[in-house]
Amino acid sequence: MAEFTLKEIKSLEYVRPEIEKGYTDHSLHVDLSSKDIKINPIEPKVKEKFIGGKGYDLWFMWNSVSGKTKWNDPENAICIASGPLGGTPGYPGGGKSIVTTISPLTGIPIDSNVGGYFGPYTKFSGFDILEITGKSDAQIVVLIDGIDSKIKLYEAEGLTDDSYTLSTQLTDYFDKEKPVNISVVSTGSAAKHTELGCLNFTWFDAKRKRVRYKQAGRGGIGTVFAHKNVKAVVARWGSVSMKSNNPADFDAMKNVTKLHAGEINELDPKQNRMALVGTTHLVPIMNDHDCLPVNNFKYGMHPEAHNIGEAVYEHIFDKGFDGCWRGCAVACAHGVKDFVPFTGPYKGQKVFVDGPEYETVAGCGSNLGVFDPFFILEMNFYCDTYGLDTISIGTGIAFVMECFEMGLITKEHTGGMDLSFGNRLNALELLHQMVRGEGFGMIVGKGIRKMKAIFAKDFGADAAIMQDIGMESKGLEFSEYMTKESLAQQGGYGMALKGPQHDEAWLIFLDMVHNFMPTFENKAEALHWFPMFRTWFGLCGLCKLPWNDIVPEDNRQNPEPAKVVKHVGWYADFFSSVTGRKVSPDDLIPMSEAVYNFQRLFNLKMGYGTREFDTLPYRAVGPVTVDEYLSRVERYDKDLTENYKVDITGMEITEKVAVLRKHREARYEQLKDAVYKRRGWTPNGIPTLETVKRLGIDFPDVIELLKANGVC
Amino acid sequence: MITVDEKKMEWHQGITIRELLNRLEHTQFCAAVRLNGKLISTPAFETTKIPDNAVIYLLPLIAGG
Ligand code: SF4
Repeated sequence: MAEFTLKEIKSLEYVRPEIEKGYTDHSLHVDLSSKDIKINPIEPKVKEKFIGGKGYDLWFMWNSVSGKTKWNDPENAICIASGPLGGTPGYPGGGKSIVTTISPLTGIPIDSNVGGYFGPYTKFSGFDILEITGKSDAQIVVLIDGIDSKIKLYEAEGLTDDSYTLSTQLTDYFDKEKPVNISVVSTGSAAKHTELGCLNFTWFDAKRKRVRYKQAGRGGIGTVFAHKNVKAVVARWGSVSMKSNNPADFDAMKNVTKLHAGEINELDPKQNRMALVGTTHLVPIMNDHDCLPVNNFKYGMHPEAHNIGEAVYEHIFDKGFDGCWRGCAVACAHGVKDFVPFTGPYKGQKVFVDGPEYETVAGCGSNLGVFDPFFILEMNFYCDTYGLDTISIGTGIAFVMECFEMGLITKEHTGGMDLSFGNRLNALELLHQMVRGEGFGMIVGKGIRKMKAIFAKDFGADAAIMQDIGMESKGLEFSEYMTKESLAQQGGYGMALKGPQHDEAWLIFLDMVHNFMPTFENKAEALHWFPMFRTWFGLCGLCKLPWNDIVPEDNRQNPEPAKVVKHVGWYADFFSSVTGRKVSPDDLIPMSEAVYNFQRLFNLKMGYGTREFDTLPYRAVGPVTVDEYLSRVERYDKDLTENYKVDITGMEITEKVAVLRKHREARYEQLKDAVYKRRGWTPNGIPTLETVKRLGIDFPDVIELLKANGVC
Repeated sequence: MITVDEKKMEWHQGITIRELLNRLEHTQFCAAVRLNGKLISTPAFETTKIPDNAVIYLLPLIAGG
């Protein structure tokens, strides 16, 4: 490994705030410009309203940025927080960190919920939230050392850009004896050349004796991190037990932990087998239901899809415990050892790959027209190593490939590369270009929204067709589910606060397969409850997977099985037992609602957050092209005749495409009306005065913002 | 005889996944089952015949990533 030096430039010794009922009630602020380090108490009313995690992140960011702040302005903040429940060993999914910043892709707050030990270690070190602002001239490593009660800033020289090696070096450097005490946050070398940079959060895998990774992938947080010149943020903490959060009612917490973990241990082997296959079981299921994105979301299935599903990855994944939090019974964070890349700087060497998960398989596999599990591993490995978001990379390259096949761009623009679907080597070459900061890869690294503008302006490509097939909304690339036949999921993507990521609402099966929500009002209700409940995990420092990926045996007898009400009850008990704030299941939604609406208002503050930004490319709604229509002709003809009562006799296909589009787009606008109404928003998608008052977020600057937007 | 979610059930020649689900209660949200370890999804329920001695698990409502 290359030599490096860390020169200490600032050190602050502090008295570690004790944890009381899941909270330290203190924040840590690091200003990279002035090198100031500040520790501040968090006011009770902030705790009451924003709960923790993403709620804290948004509140601190709100106070740091103005409506004019751009992602690369020094005042843009990167906030990382766990939550009051985060750091509970043994509770399934009980150790997440939530990261936010103003995204280079969207200009609004992006949030990412990530595994690894960083958030809990930072909390145990004394801080409910870390906020980083400013910009450093030299490369900086930040150390939060809860064992020695010191915060240190180092100027770094000679540290590698390669995220895996960097994390290993810093883990060794800061606690060689007990590497499990260290969690490193870093990005990779492509983050500074692109707007798709991710953050890698580590934990030390004691059995395999190696640093493992999870990604805060979406929205270019790694790009902001690299731009601020942060090389890494390191948290150091020692032993963790069920008492670390100093829960209000230890026995009650232990009891609910045992119940939830016990159920997963018993039922996961009979249900989705996530401890063996992670989320790759979704690949064949999505494919069978025509929901797996193939060739830039054009189609939803492919005969070779089973080559990249659970049946294959089960045999490729390295066997062993794979929890990205201590004792998580789901243990779905799998990896592959001794993989040998066939391109790039690691060509011919054995490496460990953390992943892939469903999103990476679909984004970097089927969506590119590739059904080779080893190619996907290589994309996964280089994205992580280079600090790139596999979802935006997959969806972005899929767009490029369709543009290439349509002749919108040619070899003249791509530097001679054939970028047809299925071209594995050139897809990988784009990643290598992003890290070298050269070639067509630099354009791809700007994300779809900017690519569309460049292709139109510089290459003369047809802007209208690119608008239809470029799978982004609000500037963020879509995650990997087909939504053409699920209006509710179109809403789940189009009205998601940060852009089209499925973590707010995943309603495809309830809507499309089970027809559980036939009316607009039904869909609006689902687009209220699910985003609110899913938000709650991010407030508390939890992972959502244990909520509904393994369910009680009697769950299907419940009239609303999608809510998994027994688990909602357990989460309320978990929250009550740790924080001492007694809540019932019905209290969880209003807790999230305040933060959810606050985030919508944050979008408004940044110049977005209204109806016109909740739009979708038509590819997400229906067939853009004639061949796309013809590929599912019966389905679309039936939709026209039965649902829209159109007489299609004698109609040309082009006319059918146009008529169907008119109806489906109108239907999406109707859905927006219903959802805005249910959420207590104006028809323009802004929370009303009544809503912000009801939720207690009627702060003076919120009222000013509403006034400026004509709401009151 | 077949085993469905660890309970024994009568089997007859030619029974499909769809027929089996119709015989059970509360299966309207079942979009995938594991038949002898292999995933079978809704579109194949009508055509997939269950062999004797099969072990079947009904998967929970698909919840996305
Ligand atoms: S369920 Fe999976 S992703 Fe979530 S905390 Fe557990 S191991 Fe990590």
